[in-house]
Amino acid sequence: MAPVTPALAPIRSARRLRLLDDGQLADLRAATLEILATIGVHVPSARVLGLYEEHGARVDHAGGIVRFPPELVLAAMARAPRTYTLGGRTPDFDLLLDGSAFYVGTDGCGIRVMDPVTGAVRPSTVADVADMARVADALPALGFYWPIVSAGDHPATAPVHELLASYSNTVKHVQSETVVDPVMARHAVEMARVIGGSDEAVRARPPLSSLICAISPLAQDAEALEAALVFAAAGVPVGIMSMANCGTTGPAAIAGSLAQGDAEIIAALVLVQLVHPGAPVFHSMMPGVMDPRTGGYVSTSISGEVAYAAGVEIAHHWGVPTLAGVFGTDAPEPGWQVAAESAVNLTLCGLLGAETGSGMGLLDACTVLHREQIVLDADLHERVRVNLAGLDTSPGALAVDVIREVGPRGHFLYQPHTREGMRRMRFSSVAGRRAPDGSPVPPLEVARAEVARLLRDHHPEPLDDAQAVELGRIVAAADRRLGA
Amino acid sequence: MTGTIETTTEAFSRTPPLEPIRTSRRVRFLEDEQLDRLQDATLHVLETVGVRFPNQRSLEILGDHGAQVDPATQIVKFPRDLVMSAMAKAPRTFTMAARNPDFDLDLEEGTSYFTLDGCGVAVIDPDTGLERASRKEDLARQARVADYLPSIGFVWATISAQDHVRTSQLHEIDAAYNNSVKHFQGMVMGDEAARFAVEMATVVAGSRETLRERPVFSNLICSIAPLAQDHAGLESALVMAEAGIPVGFLSMPTLGTTAPSTSAGAFIVGDAEVISGIVLLQLAYPGAPVFHSIMKAHADPRTGTYVGYSLDSGVARYAPVEMAHHWGVPSMGACFGTDSPSAGTWLSAADIALDPLLGGLAGPELVTGMGLSRTYTLMYPEGIFLDNELYERARYSLMALDINDETLALDVIASVGPGGHYLAEEHTRKHMRYALKRGLEHDLVSGRYRDPIEVAREKAAWVRANHHPEPLEAVKQAELTRILEAARAALG
Repeated sequence: MAPVTPALAPIRSARRLRLLDDGQLADLRAATLEILATIGVHVPSARVLGLYEEHGARVDHAGGIVRFPPELVLAAMARAPRTYTLGGRTPDFDLLLDGSAFYVGTDGCGIRVMDPVTGAVRPSTVADVADMARVADALPALGFYWPIVSAGDHPATAPVHELLASYSNTVKHVQSETVVDPVMARHAVEMARVIGGSDEAVRARPPLSSLICAISPLAQDAEALEAALVFAAAGVPVGIMSMANCGTTGPAAIAGSLAQGDAEIIAALVLVQLVHPGAPVFHSMMPGVMDPRTGGYVSTSISGEVAYAAGVEIAHHWGVPTLAGVFGTDAPEPGWQVAAESAVNLTLCGLLGAETGSGMGLLDACTVLHREQIVLDADLHERVRVNLAGLDTSPGALAVDVIREVGPRGHFLYQPHTREGMRRMRFSSVAGRRAPDGSPVPPLEVARAEVARLLRDHHPEPLDDAQAVELGRIVAAADRRLGA
Repeated sequence: MTGTIETTTEAFSRTPPLEPIRTSRRVRFLEDEQLDRLQDATLHVLETVGVRFPNQRSLEILGDHGAQVDPATQIVKFPRDLVMSAMAKAPRTFTMAARNPDFDLDLEEGTSYFTLDGCGVAVIDPDTGLERASRKEDLARQARVADYLPSIGFVWATISAQDHVRTSQLHEIDAAYNNSVKHFQGMVMGDEAARFAVEMATVVAGSRETLRERPVFSNLICSIAPLAQDHAGLESALVMAEAGIPVGFLSMPTLGTTAPSTSAGAFIVGDAEVISGIVLLQLAYPGAPVFHSIMKAHADPRTGTYVGYSLDSGVARYAPVEMAHHWGVPSMGACFGTDSPSAGTWLSAADIALDPLLGGLAGPELVTGMGLSRTYTLMYPEGIFLDNELYERARYSLMALDINDETLALDVIASVGPGGHYLAEEHTRKHMRYALKRGLEHDLVSGRYRDPIEVAREKAAWVRANHHPEPLEAVKQAELTRILEAARAALG
């Protein structure tokens, strides 16, 4: 008997925060429009350049540069929907992106796995994608699933193997961040159609969404844009991400990197809206900072974290949902640094009303999977969720009658109200555990045991046989076609 | 090594300027209606249940002003109007002065000055690495660390000077003033000890008048949940208030044992205790500077033991702050103080990493408390540096983002163009200095980042060895010593 996947527990903030004021958002918008109008974005595809030109953008074919009249940008972005649904494999796990809930998914796409038994780091495989999909399925904190690591054992067709492993092991929505060419995108859309049941069902409740990364500064990948258009044509939501890095691929000041990253994102979202008006899209700003001593990428610095939160507000100012950058710490292994680098940003993005965010479970700048980390990340998520929900001040919670009953210098242990309330008190699922001899069990060990338990016991509702066969056929076709 | 000290011509280290959390982006987590409901519940409890005041002088003051005093039970019930009129006399803002006026704290909503955690009883000895009972010398060392850290706005007795049993609270004052130029907040109890403490603060301030104008000392009084005040605490509060020293009332209700098992209920118990104390002082010394603090904890449902952190501990970072501000008095918010038995673990950050952000967003004027582990009892030398890192993340995230022509850098973006890079730009050279605020986890050796816990340990050792703030004048040092001797003779 397969246990039921527990209901989702997204962050629903009782209060909203605005970090940027209207004037700052207007300044950032003006900068983006100026970059798009006067500097432009490099697009190395004659076909895509043609599409831009056809719809009124100014194209320099020799240089491969597109420049955008501001009114074209504003008109195109006005067509993008503010709210839509990401479908789960079953409707109970649909995600309505309307700002009332912040759904956090897994991180991606790692390439190595720390083996919990041997302690050795090995390349990731499709089995890891499948295992972690089951773990994510069991954790209410996970709203959707990114294939968390690469199916490195299928080098030519890893993205479709990752999707197969994901759909086979979770009923939650799947977002792919590795399908970045049109051929693979068509296979992915076919798979989504199998899960959804029909073209119309995919449009209404897309069980797949896709994330495409721009190339900073101010360049797009031709194949990735083609993939975005394939997805948009099928009604599969498309997100565009910028990872402009302060100091190397973006200006060294955060505001400049935000403006440049926004221009990269908007250039691609405009293309999607020009070709497929009204297609569901999202905006994702994940800028890093260069370490000036090494030139290396730092994703979670003290001074750079606010850029992720600012990205959420920039997306909302354009009137589209966001995929916020949360977790994804630089810490090389589980420990103090992971929690230290994750909590503030997760709280801020929750307060700002981000719709989605990625993601939990990877370390070492999103490259290495430590399976137990996802349980620790989920615990931190739960802390943020509970605290942003606000304070219950109902008469039962105020308990004035109980206070009167106990009076000065009494105690509350015998009160029925206490008995009830103690049951509802929420403590960390990994902290405060004791071994039979009374010694404390470190949270890391609790998390490790929990992952082992879930892998042993949690088997979400399987695909029906016909779907499983059909997905296998699509993946086999991709293997044949792409020479795996 | 990891620290910097501004060199001066004097024979001491300069104390770096304070860096409180300042935000113009405040969140009100509770609605007006909720705040009214909470306040109404507190007034109801004060009026119908009352608070025990086991102190004759307090009972007389309260009775004289119209409170309903039951001499047999020492329970005082407060008419609503009396509470409201007394609370109206409490100042909304005041200054908590420092030994060096550059470090005065002008209390205002939206600027949050943090302090150390307290009051621990054990330390990990920095030399042996072994746990032992805390001593005065530990506080002296930690006061120098507090003096060094811009995140610490004022000093608390973070661990108890247990080697000075009955006069430990006074020796803590001595250790703090001799090792930091910042404001000191004590936890002095009892009439006689309070009078010695006032004398010590008077020595540091220069005179009674100066102390009243620029109180270099404040005192925190803990009530006893549920709904009781402490005799020695009341004695001390009255002595301090008379001298113009700011007094804070702190309630620490424990959900399930000394308070209802719901957060709102615990806040009501706490609020009633705090407000009853403030009302007493306002009736005795109208306009006396006071502040409000509630720090909730939980009873472990399986063992009944005290647990600092539940999943909803963040609520305790903002709700009591908003309740204090609704009464119109400054708030001392509660942050930090992990239940983790060790510093530098995942739990030691997961428990507390949200705290300074949620606390900062609520805008308390004062906030506790960095640097202790094992539910406010144990001090690791590196603990405060790790907590400081979490503080910095919150502080930076709440700073206004700099958006102007220089930071938007459109001309630089144009000059680099699509597909280029920013490494060779003058603008990059200039702004890279500020783009990466290097934390403990970004300390490089041979191109690799070091273990942040180790970096914190080294930083702690470096500050202990190198930071020696401006000493108290010799004559004042001698005077404090004389007072301590007198106190030892009097208090035993």
